[in-house]
Formats: sequence, structure tokens, C-alpha cells
Amino acid sequence: MIKLSYATAIFIFCIGLYTIISKRNLFKTVIGLAIMESAVLLLIVTSGYIPGGVPPLLPMNGVAVNPLPQAFTLTAIVIGASDVALALALVIKLHRRYGTVDLDKIRGLRG
Amino acid sequence: MHRSSVFFRLATLLFCLCLGWWFWKGIEALEHTGTLTGPAVHYVARAAEETGASNLVSAILFDYRALDTLGEATVIYTAVCGIAMLFSRSKYRKSSTGLSFIVKRGLGFVIPFILLYAAGIVLMGHLTPGGGFQGGAVFATMTILFCIVYGSNFEAARINPKIKEFIESTGAVMFTLIGLVGLIAGAGFLANSAAGFPTGRVGSVLSGGTIPLLNIAVGMKVGAGLSTIFYSMVKLLEVKYEDAVEVDRP
Amino acid sequence: MMPVLAVIVPMSWGFIIPLVYLFRRKLLDQAILLFAFISFMVTLATAFSGWQGYNVAFLGGWSAGLGIVFVVDKLSAAFLVLAATGSGAAFLVSYGRFRADPWRYYVIFFLLQSAMNGILVTGDMFTLFVFYEIFSLAAYLLVSFTMSWQAIEAGLKYLVLGTIGAFFILLGTAYIFMATGALNMAILSVSLPQAPPETLTVIAACLLIGLFIKIGAFPVHFWLPDAHSSAQTAVSALLSGVVVKVSIYALARVSLLFFLETRPAAFTVITSIGILSILGGHLMALRQEDIKRLLAFSTVAQIGYILTGVGTGTAAGITAAVFHAFNHMFMKGGLFITAGQLSEDMKTRNISQLRGLYRHRPGFVIAFTVLAAAIVGIPPLNGFMGKWYLMLASVDAGNIVSALALAAGTVISAFYYLRILSSLYSPGVPPSRRKPFYWPFRVTVTFAVFCVLLGLTAFMPPVWKAFSTIGTCALDTTAYIAAVLVE
Repeated sequence: MIKLSYATAIFIFCIGLYTIISKRNLFKTVIGLAIMESAVLLLIVTSGYIPGGVPPLLPMNGVAVNPLPQAFTLTAIVIGASDVALALALVIKLHRRYGTVDLDKIRGLRG
Repeated sequence: MHRSSVFFRLATLLFCLCLGWWFWKGIEALEHTGTLTGPAVHYVARAAEETGASNLVSAILFDYRALDTLGEATVIYTAVCGIAMLFSRSKYRKSSTGLSFIVKRGLGFVIPFILLYAAGIVLMGHLTPGGGFQGGAVFATMTILFCIVYGSNFEAARINPKIKEFIESTGAVMFTLIGLVGLIAGAGFLANSAAGFPTGRVGSVLSGGTIPLLNIAVGMKVGAGLSTIFYSMVKLLEVKYEDAVEVDRP
Repeated sequence: MMPVLAVIVPMSWGFIIPLVYLFRRKLLDQAILLFAFISFMVTLATAFSGWQGYNVAFLGGWSAGLGIVFVVDKLSAAFLVLAATGSGAAFLVSYGRFRADPWRYYVIFFLLQSAMNGILVTGDMFTLFVFYEIFSLAAYLLVSFTMSWQAIEAGLKYLVLGTIGAFFILLGTAYIFMATGALNMAILSVSLPQAPPETLTVIAACLLIGLFIKIGAFPVHFWLPDAHSSAQTAVSALLSGVVVKVSIYALARVSLLFFLETRPAAFTVITSIGILSILGGHLMALRQEDIKRLLAFSTVAQIGYILTGVGTGTAAGITAAVFHAFNHMFMKGGLFITAGQLSEDMKTRNISQLRGLYRHRPGFVIAFTVLAAAIVGIPPLNGFMGKWYLMLASVDAGNIVSALALAAGTVISAFYYLRILSSLYSPGVPPSRRKPFYWPFRVTVTFAVFCVLLGLTAFMPPVWKAFSTIGTCALDTTAYIAAVLVE
């Protein structure tokens, strides 16, 4: 079960990387960034799971799962969201200038 | 090689799949014990009495590793400042009139409960899952709902953008000042019980030392920040190609 | 206490400036100047406090395994001095240009400085990632600050590639956490060798790929020419001079602490990427017509030099790399500032149209000549000394190929710098108006003087011996671990 979760996270990471490299629409590139971020976060959260564990809240009746990856994930979600927000702001400004978000028509971003 | 040629896409796909297979080998080599290892053992066993919070994740985020939280709040602050800067020359042109009458009235009933929900998440962050970031996001959602349902004109009239800037900076300064109290007391930056903040009885609302205060500061910062991001992007509702600055200044 | 202040003080200025703008707008000019001066002093004080021994600060009073630690040793101290000088100079140039008008620019500037100090003093992997993100976001924003279409495109490209690099670093950190359960660098240095070898390879590869993308080494350097050439003058100098060096520090620290005994192949990879950057950067620079793009490709090549120094994995190599990092900041900072001012005068960035400037602004052109001679590697100047020590260290470590690449690079760079100089000195029609450029001129002349001074002092044995303690201290992982893991 845990291995399935890890495999899904890695697969989604690869899909995200593929989307960023090979898509022409700038919005799809930003979506690829968000997908990559979700994949890494899924990996981090899964690594803290203990089979048969309970959430790390008091009062606990059982073994608590590892609280450290959950703290990392909360931080990384916020950081990823800020990155995506800034990327979208830049894409909006580019759209205002060129009228299109097609990568081939925007001059400087080729290559 | 053109981006949309089949050869390029196949090569990229193959490369990504090889990368994924190699990552998988790295994970498979690790053995998964069914118990906690490392600092997590200490956190689960001793966090409640050392910090006074019953939510262990909050204890880690706002006490043991509080500097990471300060850094994360600064990331949002930088993004907000930058987006406000990118859209600062956009003039306010036209606002929509919002949705229909039924939706406006309905939202009017629901708004106080949303505010209560946001405040509850922020203030009870040390007892239940939640905290400053989550509560701040709910608060920002409320201002976004204002924009959508009533029109951005109304939202800007109700909550001045300058007030949002003020709230955001105040939240950030508050976080730093609380940390400095610990530094001056000699216990290290962002120290909690070591700097003399009372830990209280575990499980009550008044417990946790600095954790509720830091939650409030972060909630202010994140709420005002996300709200500013949305408002900056939505200020111009007409899609008009603005006159870009043509000269590439060296 | 000092390492914490080096991070918190610039950050607080970033938070306080909007409050000053809202309430006391008239004090903004003097306030920003005062803030910059205090940040400069605090950073230098932190650097000196770490020079004699290890200065360790435990945040929140928690010990190393539970909380975050800040460590300042000689390597961090050297880079802190570099960061303080570079950002101070960039601040003076931009303050001289447009006073305190765009106050959000200064907010982002101070946050960038705080994040740089944070990366340089941290002793924890996740804190490194968080501060790296503040640093990167601030850099993307400074590049797109002028809001011309070229700058925004460059900013978007930098953002996409930089975020991919950041996620690779986060993935590496996640694998480290899965393998050992700890994130403190000293504890990891002890417990990472016990991880399974395939996982160690994945960790090393993820961290190296992420850091190479952020540094701008050859195969993944695509963002660097656009970003450094489209930015404003002061921002280009800051990016090429300081931002790149901080990333190289992160690479050096991570490799020396984690991979020195367990994966020495990582150092071979660093050296080969360095050689590729040298050749690639110089060859691409030969074909450029735009002066700032040429200087940006020259930065890629100089990054290659520093990477070959780090890749040797010996004390002499690290010392030579740090020395060349200092040299490059002075040389490239001065070159970018001069190029920016000259192209603003002539309203063009094309090299063949920058003619007749010797009569128009003789001081700038002479300073440019001195700096160009330094970066090519003419003997008594500091560029030559830096390359000399790098070649010595490479040959000592057995990398003959990198020594050859260094020599070849020097020859190729002479070609394109001569092309620029011949264009500058040739007769042409100078522009009519002449605006005095007070601060940029002072800063450029100071940098040129520093180049000469550094070149001469590197000859003196006592100075060089003091400098080479940086290298020995960087390799001394046992002392680092002992300083952090006090109980």
C-alpha cells in the first residue's frame, strides 16, 4: 500500500517534468510546475506513515505517525503556492503584451 | 528540434520515465521499519510538556523549527510584494456588478460564519489541526468571495488595499518581535518556554506559550497577503493590451 | 547570537519599509540609507565573529537534533564578506540612480540580502531549502523589476527553470529524510554513510542537479544569459557577482559535508561540469553582439573555473575557488556597471555601435580596460593570480584536463574582450548630453583598484597563508561536527 503511494508520487513527478519541457502553452507549463510540487509533497507525507498509526494529536490512543514530514509539507505547500502565484502573474503580464500564451510566438522564451 | 515534433516528445517521455525508474530504485533500497526513528521519538514523547501544545505538528512548526515558519511567511511576503509591484501601474478601470440578488443576500447570511470559522482555525491552532496559514487562507477566501459576488469595486471600498498592506507588515513585525523577546532573554531566537512564556495546562485554550501569538501573527500576514494577490490580479477587468514599456533599458 | 542577527536584521528592514512608507513618507530616503548601512555592518560583524573559531547559535535553545542551528566558520565568513560587499556596492549604484522612489524594490533587495545571509550560515537542510526559495523569488522579482517585455520574459524563464531546480533540491532533501530521519547537516554527515548505496546515488544526483540548475552551469544554463542581460545595471552586477556565488557556496558545503568519503564521484561530476561550462561559456560568448549577453556568457565560463576548483576536493582547490569567487565579483561587478552606463549613454547594447567612448567618458573606459585585463588574466592583476592558483590546485589533484581547459579559456576570452576594447577606443561620434554618473563611477573605480590590490597581495606569503586556512577549515568536517553536536 505504501509502495503504491510512493510509485504514484514518482510517476506524477515524471508527468510534471514532461509537461514543463514539452508543452507549448504557458499555462500548461505553470500547471506542470504545480503537478511536480504535489508529487514531491505526496512523497514527503507518505514517508512518515506508520502502519496502524493515529494522527499526532493529544490525546493519543496508539502509535502516532511521524509529525515531522507533516510540518515540512505544510511549509512546502505554502512555498509552492507562492511560486505558482508569481508565475501566473508573469504569464498575465506577458499575455497583456502579446495577446497570446503560445510559446512559439513569444520571442525570448525559445530555447 | 521543434517542440511539438513526435520525436522530441517521445525522447522527453523516455527520459522522464528513466528518471522515474531510477528514483524508484532509490526508494526500494530503503528498508521501512514500522516504528518512529530520529527526532520524532522525542517529539511524540516530550512535546506536550515542553511546549504546552497538544497538536504536535504545531509544536514543531512554531516552537522547535519556528525559523522555517518565519522563512515560509517571508516567502509569501516576497511574492505578495512582487505581485503588487508588477501590477502597480495598472489603473483601475471597470468593476463588475457582481452576481444576482439571491446570491448576494445568501452570502450576506453566510459571511459571519465564515469569519468565525477562520478565527477558530487560527486561534485553536495549538489544539486541533489548523493554525495561522490555514486560517489566513480561509480569511483570504472570504475577501475573494466578496470580489466575485459583490464586484471588486465594493471590496476595495470596504477594505482599503493600504489597510491590507498595513496588516501584513504588522503581522510580520509582530512575529519578529516575539522572537526577539527570546533573544533578549538569552534563550535563543524564537524560544518558547525557555524565554519565560507560560506553557499553561495542556489542552486548554490558554496554553502553548508563544504558539497562539505566532498563529495570530501568521494568520494576519497570510490573510492580507493572499487577498492582496487576488486583488492585484483582478483590478483590471477589461482585457486591454496596455502600452508596454518599449525601450529595453540597459 | 550574531548569526541570527545577520539574518533577522535585513529581514526586519524588509518588513518595516512599507510601514515607513505608509506613515512617514518623508523619512524614507534617510531610513533606507540607514538600514543598508546597519545591514552591512551586521553582516561584516558576523563574518569576523566566525573567523577565529566556529560560532554556533542554537535557535530556541533546542539542541542540534531537535531544532535549527546556525554555524559560521571560515568558509561562511569569507562568503559573508563577499555578499556584504557585493550587495553594498549594488545598493549604492541603485540608490544613486533612483533614490528611494520604487520602495518595493528596496523591500525585495533587503529580503534578498537576508536570504543570502540565511543560506550562508545555516546548518540544516530544510532551512537551506526555505531560505533558497526566498532568495530565488527575490531574484526573479529583481530581474523582472523594470517591466520591459524582455525583462518579464527573462524573469519567467528564470522562474520556471529555477523552480524545477528547487523541486529537485526538495526531492533530494525528502530522500535524505527517508534514509536517515534527521535533517541537521552535522548529524547527516555522520549518519548518511550508513544509507544504502542506491539511495545515496539518488540523493547526490538530485542535490547536484538542483544546485547546478540554480548556479547556471553549462548544460542547464539557459536562463542565465537572458536574466543577467535583461536586468537593470545594479541588479545584473548583483546577480553575476553575488547570487551565483551563494549557490556555489551551497554546493560546496553540501558536497564537502556529505559526499567527500561516500561518493567521491560527485566531485568528478562537478569538475566535468566545470570544464563544460568553461568551454561552452567562452565559445558562446564569441558569437554575441550584445554586450551584456556577452558578459553573461563570460559569467558562465567563470562559474566553470570556480567549479573546477571546488571539484578537486582538496584544501588548495577550495581556497583557489574562494579566491576566484572574490575576484570575479569585483571584476564582473565593475564590468556590468560600466557596460550598463556606457550602453545607456549610447542608447544601444550592440558592441559595434559603442564607438568613440574614450573621448566621451575616459574614466569609465580606463576602468573597463583594467577590469577586462584582470578577467582575461594579465599577470600582476588578480584574475591571473586566481587562475594560477586554480591551475596549481588542479594539477596537484591530478586533473590535467581542467588545467588545459583553463589555459584554453584564457586565450579565447582574450579574443572577445579585445573586440570590445577595440570598439570602445575606436573613433566615433559621441553623444551630446552628458549626465554625471557619480556613484557608479566611484564604485567601478573602487573595484578596479581592488583588482590591482588583490593581485599584488596574493603575492605576499603571509596573506596567502591566512587565506588558505579557509580551504583547510572547509575540509575539516570532524571539527564542524564536534562544534555543533555539543551536548
